[in-house]
Amino acid sequence: MFKKILIANRGEIALRIIRTCKELGIKTVAVYSEADRESLHVTFADEAVCIGPASGKESYLKVPSIISAAQITGADAIHPGYGFLAENADFSEICIEAGITFIGPSPQMIRAMGDKSFAKQTMKKNGVPVIPGSEGVITEINDAIKIAHEVGFPVIVKASAGGGGKGMRIVWEEKDFEKAFQTAQTEAEASFGNSDVYIEKYLENPRHVEFQIMGDSFGNVFHYGERDCSVQRRHQKLIEESPSPALDEVLRSKMGEAAVLGAQSVNYLGAGTVEFLLDKHKNFYFMEMNTRIQVEHPVTETVYHVDLIRQQILVAAGLEADTPPEKPFGHCIEFRINAEDPQHGFRPSPGKITSLNFPGGYGVRVDSHIYQSYSIPPFYDSLVAKLIVWGTNRERAIARGKRALDEFVIEGIKTTIPFHLKVLDDPRFVSGHFDTGFLEKFNIDN
Amino acid sequence: MEGGQMDINLIKKLIKILEASEVTDLEVEENGVKIKLAKKVRVNQTVALAQPPIAAPAMQQTAVTVAKTTDEQKAADEKTGLYEIKSPIVGTFYRAPGPDADFYIQVGDVVSAGTVLCIVEAMKLMNEIESDVNGKVVKVLVENGKPVEYNQPLFLIQKN
Repeated sequence: MFKKILIANRGEIALRIIRTCKELGIKTVAVYSEADRESLHVTFADEAVCIGPASGKESYLKVPSIISAAQITGADAIHPGYGFLAENADFSEICIEAGITFIGPSPQMIRAMGDKSFAKQTMKKNGVPVIPGSEGVITEINDAIKIAHEVGFPVIVKASAGGGGKGMRIVWEEKDFEKAFQTAQTEAEASFGNSDVYIEKYLENPRHVEFQIMGDSFGNVFHYGERDCSVQRRHQKLIEESPSPALDEVLRSKMGEAAVLGAQSVNYLGAGTVEFLLDKHKNFYFMEMNTRIQVEHPVTETVYHVDLIRQQILVAAGLEADTPPEKPFGHCIEFRINAEDPQHGFRPSPGKITSLNFPGGYGVRVDSHIYQSYSIPPFYDSLVAKLIVWGTNRERAIARGKRALDEFVIEGIKTTIPFHLKVLDDPRFVSGHFDTGFLEKFNIDN
Repeated sequence: MEGGQMDINLIKKLIKILEASEVTDLEVEENGVKIKLAKKVRVNQTVALAQPPIAAPAMQQTAVTVAKTTDEQKAADEKTGLYEIKSPIVGTFYRAPGPDADFYIQVGDVVSAGTVLCIVEAMKLMNEIESDVNGKVVKVLVENGKPVEYNQPLFLIQKN
């Protein structure tokens, strides 16, 4: 087992990882930028190293600084969290070369799933349903138009090196296709340094249902059920829940099997998430696979009674992953509390927290790095807390969510708490019949 | 300015002195005439709440109040003439280029901008750290072979 883990991240996830390390008796090293000197993860860790100025590029993304920090503290493993270097294959390779265990999959796996077009082809080859579209990257406009006709408009042109909603162009009619295709290529080149694009049928307002995967070095690949993340704004998740109101046991079993199959086909190691799109007719299609722990992992932890960070560490240390329970217990919903103003287009609202009260009580969990009088730095993402509530069924989870959100006091900054309360009152959300188009309609009504 | 009794050359001299020193505000009164001079402070990119350095509290520069004469200004100058050399990277601090070599510098040595003061080793690469200023080495702040973090103060240089 590792003696010392360096957490190459910040904010709530750094704290999350430190907590599990402590429980496992593993020493922790926090790294921080100058803007995060007063951050909680710095205080909670056993050791802390300042690695750069505020800019993410000069600190949390600066590979030599992170490796050097691991070397001077004698850390034998690095947990990259999510974002930053978590899915950077080069970083994971450098860790290996430096003799430090990267808590995550191998560089080859990261590369394989990071190439979205290649990932899709791999899944298709292994019998996982994929969204109809091109067989890999398309460079010629005429080939692209042909495929668009085959799958039928609307289509989406997607950057192969992109992901998470970036580098995409939806095309509704043929007359707009050529321009969209060229623009997407140019954008992809500018954003990812790679102009490769592929074409897919565009599913209108599907549900986003993802499966949590855990693979170990003994060849076990388990799934821990699904998370429904359809409440999104501009492809950024705001509310996640498990189980999905759209899935019954049969569909869960089918999708779970497909997710495991896909992960097995690449001998997946560690925690990963297989994302599917679910259309109105309950057809599911592989969208992409993320080779990291995700923000919304607590939802799965709650209904499947598992510490996913602990599983990650065990697996990285060469131990066996635990067998998951057969089905989820109860219902769990997570609300992402961001320092954003929902009244003004969710614009970022950094600042000093003047008054703070975390909700508590039965079935309530808060993952957060904020504290009273903490100043939220403007340099990083706006997530300040995750509120995770559980109930024996969805109705009770919603009631608990309302109660907990009402107790959640954060003053000095604007947050998405009022927004979440509104969603919980919305009959479409309450009914469970909603999709990724929900939030757009929601805003219009308000 | 009224009375015309303050010498324009004196004003020019005061401006020069202000520019050359760490003083940011200056008020002079002579023959019933008062002059106030102020200059913009260049803001460091470091965020507040940094650990105070081991020596030279004068480095935390806020608007220094008035020096009435040039002598007093010189004294204030000396107090704030200490410059911190900080590590630009995370790594291990070494005072010599190799285990059997002499230290690059000792306390009391005179250095100029560009003089190599030490090495910070990171990922097996030896990074030579140069002085930013001309002056005399007053203090070494880190023990040989110890780890250093980003912007950690390494040396104090008394500027010329």
